[in-house]
Amino acid sequence: MAEFLTLVPPVAVLLPVAILVALLPRRSGHALGALVPTLAVGWVWFVPTGAHFQTTFLGFEAVLFNVDDFSRLMGLIFGLIAAVAVLYSYASDADTTQTGFALSYVATSFGAVFAGDWLSMLFFWELMAVTSTLLVWHYGGKAVRAGFRYALLHGIGGTLLMAAILQTYVAKGTFLFASVPNGPETAGITAGLPAALAAIGIGVNVGFIGLHAWLPDTYPRPHVAASVFLCVFTTKTGVYGMYRAFPEGNVAIAYMGGGMAVFGAMFALFQNDMRRLLSYHIQSQVGYMIAGVGIGGALGQAGAFAHVFNHILYKGLLFMTAGVVIYRTGEQSLKKLGGLWREMPITAGAFSVAALSIAGFPYFNGFVSKGIVISASHYHFSKGPLPIGEFYTLEWLLLLGGVGTFMSFIKFGYYAFFHGEYEGSVPDANRLQSVAMLTVAALCVFYGVFDHALFSLLPFDVTDGDVVSHVYETYTIPHVVEGVALAVLGLLGFAVTKKPLSKLGRVPDVDSLYNPAVFYGTRALVVGVTELYAAVDRAVVGATRVLTAAVTDPNALYGRVVGVDEDDPAYPLRAGIGFSILVLAVFVTVALLLLP
Amino acid sequence: MIEHLPVLLVVLPIVGGTVPLVASLFTDRAGWLVATVTVLVHAALAGLLGWTVWTEGSVSYAVGGFAAPYGIELVVDGLSASVVVLISAVALGVLAYARHAGPHSNAFYSQFLLLVTGLTGMTVTGDVFNLYVFLEITGLAAYGLVASGREASSAVAALKYLIIGTVGASLYLLGVGYALAATGTLNMADLADKLATATGGYDSTLVLTAFGLMVGGLTVKVALFPLHTWQPDAYANAPDSVSAFISALVSTVSAYALARLLFSVFTVDFLEAVPGARWALLALASVSIVAGSALAVSQTNVQRMLAYSSVSQFGLVIAGFTIATPIAVVGATVHLLGHAVMKGGLFAASGIIERETGATTIGGYAGMAARTPVAAGAFAVLALAMVGVPPAVGFLGKWYIVVGAVEAGLWPVVAVLLASTLLTLAYFARLVERLYFAEPTIREDAAVADGGEGTDGSRSSSGYRPDGGASVSTGMIAVVVLAAVLAVALTAAVPALEQLLEQTLPPLLNQ
Repeated sequence: MAEFLTLVPPVAVLLPVAILVALLPRRSGHALGALVPTLAVGWVWFVPTGAHFQTTFLGFEAVLFNVDDFSRLMGLIFGLIAAVAVLYSYASDADTTQTGFALSYVATSFGAVFAGDWLSMLFFWELMAVTSTLLVWHYGGKAVRAGFRYALLHGIGGTLLMAAILQTYVAKGTFLFASVPNGPETAGITAGLPAALAAIGIGVNVGFIGLHAWLPDTYPRPHVAASVFLCVFTTKTGVYGMYRAFPEGNVAIAYMGGGMAVFGAMFALFQNDMRRLLSYHIQSQVGYMIAGVGIGGALGQAGAFAHVFNHILYKGLLFMTAGVVIYRTGEQSLKKLGGLWREMPITAGAFSVAALSIAGFPYFNGFVSKGIVISASHYHFSKGPLPIGEFYTLEWLLLLGGVGTFMSFIKFGYYAFFHGEYEGSVPDANRLQSVAMLTVAALCVFYGVFDHALFSLLPFDVTDGDVVSHVYETYTIPHVVEGVALAVLGLLGFAVTKKPLSKLGRVPDVDSLYNPAVFYGTRALVVGVTELYAAVDRAVVGATRVLTAAVTDPNALYGRVVGVDEDDPAYPLRAGIGFSILVLAVFVTVALLLLP
Repeated sequence: MIEHLPVLLVVLPIVGGTVPLVASLFTDRAGWLVATVTVLVHAALAGLLGWTVWTEGSVSYAVGGFAAPYGIELVVDGLSASVVVLISAVALGVLAYARHAGPHSNAFYSQFLLLVTGLTGMTVTGDVFNLYVFLEITGLAAYGLVASGREASSAVAALKYLIIGTVGASLYLLGVGYALAATGTLNMADLADKLATATGGYDSTLVLTAFGLMVGGLTVKVALFPLHTWQPDAYANAPDSVSAFISALVSTVSAYALARLLFSVFTVDFLEAVPGARWALLALASVSIVAGSALAVSQTNVQRMLAYSSVSQFGLVIAGFTIATPIAVVGATVHLLGHAVMKGGLFAASGIIERETGATTIGGYAGMAARTPVAAGAFAVLALAMVGVPPAVGFLGKWYIVVGAVEAGLWPVVAVLLASTLLTLAYFARLVERLYFAEPTIREDAAVADGGEGTDGSRSSSGYRPDGGASVSTGMIAVVVLAAVLAVALTAAVPALEQLLEQTLPPLLNQ
């Protein structure tokens, strides 16, 4: 049985299936596309730990299929969400080509998380960038240009990671991970320059502050079902890669995670496009995972991977609900929506579950895993430069991100579902969309209530004092109070910032209680940060545009720099016969003069 | 019979080449049949020779029974055997393509066989003067073939090719003269021994001058930047069959000859004794990689872009040979052979796309995948293979060269090699994106009605149309599809090639 399961790596099965799905008729193609990831979940569940598929690739030892607790968790949740997302694609009128592209993206993600050496992982990492770009391009229109920017940034990130991996190879003499047989003594990327390059390369994938612009740029543009796939795989594989590169953790990366949690949540608050708002929240939530990986140790890593698992569930669900709203109303912007809960009670219910999960409300799954990371930031991490009372620096950053998350999801829910009346009538999600959403919503609640079911999946047992530095317990009074307090703070925060954030909001009574100076100060800060962000954004986009123009049309660049008459475009890069002979003569003369 | 194989490979096509001319007395359509029969026999002999080398090691043959070093010696080892098999295979593919695409005249097929003669001769010879003779045969046949296009620009391109090519060959001959003066021999193996012990050794001005002139002359034929100027005109203006043939083979065999000079005549010892020569060649190759790609990116005409791409890719091959570690030489050989298949296939595919849609420019390729799905698909596969997307053969070649450069600690070269992949992606990704993800700019009715005259991005109706139409035969499609399949399938043959080279390379590399 076990031998049979390890006979071929999952990617070798999933990739042909992806092609088959694209060729089959719509109904049977999607049925196959939903069935095979489900089977992959079973496969991942039953395959024994330590199983691996070793081969030689380009003369190097390579492990195409390596199962440990980390890759198993990634495989389980990837397979699960892929099956649901295919179902959702079918229900949302996605064509088979798109689902084929999406499944090839899923397949390469499986390849990346089950790789047992850096070379194989990089190989699938790059293929993921290719397949996801195809998935974005497939929608056409504005998605094409966004796809180009996406591909460019991920190409640069992949190249940096490749440089880091090559230098690690030079230092260690093998590409294998430390956990596989014959692997090197020390795990991870070699410290120093390689580590820095790897952090930046992987940082593109996980959306480090400053490297994150592709997230809100790309994810809102393609088909609504494509967004469900996109929101899952690239960033989470990035978290997994970050763990492989830094198995001991890293202080700077931990603080970057904290910064991302706050930064993403804050920018999400400024958004009105639903999927753009959700994209900023990917950055914010991945911030928690990166903080967990950066803290290191059993507790931090268990928290990070628990959060990967939970986040895939509720973020997939959020993109599905936003997708249903767009699918039914054709509107992307919160400003043009409102009062939809009467029209779409199922969608509104699913959204509420997902929103409470992502915000970390007690008895929803986000509460459990976010709690582990925050606990690790307190018990397994240094105080940091700016402790506030009991709260360590990283800890209050993460808590602040939680407040921001509450605020922005209160905003989302308020404007989409509860504010005002929707003019006209729209149907709710269709039956299959409802099935997909309710399945995931049920899982979000299940893992929130039965937290031990989640713990059993984690690479480290967080309830065992021998394994972790501080035993984690989900439902303690201080922890629940903390969760509720964040929610209350979020509510208050939303009430305070609602007016500056939206001209539509009515003037709430509470704001007359506050000092107007604070009010205007907050607004100035908001505008200032937004402008700063816009300036950075403009600079990046501008630089990219200049670079692209230079690469695609050097003659025009030459013309601008040297000043060529536009009516008579000379081709400075072409040569006649006489000139060629002259070049040849000069070349040989120089060669003969230089050689002796 | 077996021992005469090397010389038969050269004699057969040259004799075959005279037949179509005689046949012209009776019919003007005999050329294709004669050429096909000749090349089929040539392929069988090449296969037999390859098998002999595979099983028994290198083969050497003294022409006319005059023993080396006084007579002319033909030497076939793993490297040359692979190139000979490549020549046969590509020649067969081009014949299948030319059956319908033309040209159809007997004279064309005579020149074609003459070119096969020259290329085979360059590959099997073990004598530097003999190499010059075959270099000239190759050159003359290629000039004639380029000129066989009916446009005025073909004639100009052929003239440019002729003048620059002849000057290059003359420089090579001059270098041979210096080498003869230094050692008194023309046999490659003998030269290798005597150059080492010549007065003043490797550092003597005579030897260095010979090296500079011979390498400089061959560099023109390989078309490295800045000596490539003949090549884009020649490739883009020749008929499609000719473009496919010479782009696949002429520079390839010249690059092989350059490798042969480096390893069999001057040897790796020379490169080590004269680091300046090695660095000069590496620098030339690196400049060629970058400049060729930059020029390719700036082209609007697809065939010119492919031509400039060759400048870049041959930079890669020469860099691999100059690094001269066993793994880099394997990589360079893989890329040399793989590039021939891929580039020939790309030219053939671009020919089909032009015939079916009238598109010749990058703008014109927009949305053409829907109109010519098979040719566009093959084009995309070949383009991606050329970029080096695994598991295509283009990836393996580049990979081995990079590994060789890393082993040798040549970090600037590693940087250029890695950048070359990005640069290659820059021009091929644009084409693939145009083909599959853009709205057509050429309307179907216009393109079909008059061959695309006056529409944006297509060649005028005065373009080469041998049979008055723009139809495409199954054979043409099959060749392109086969090239695309080979571009991936050849990866499986790399271990065998590696083993073959390992048996013959260590003596070349003195290891």
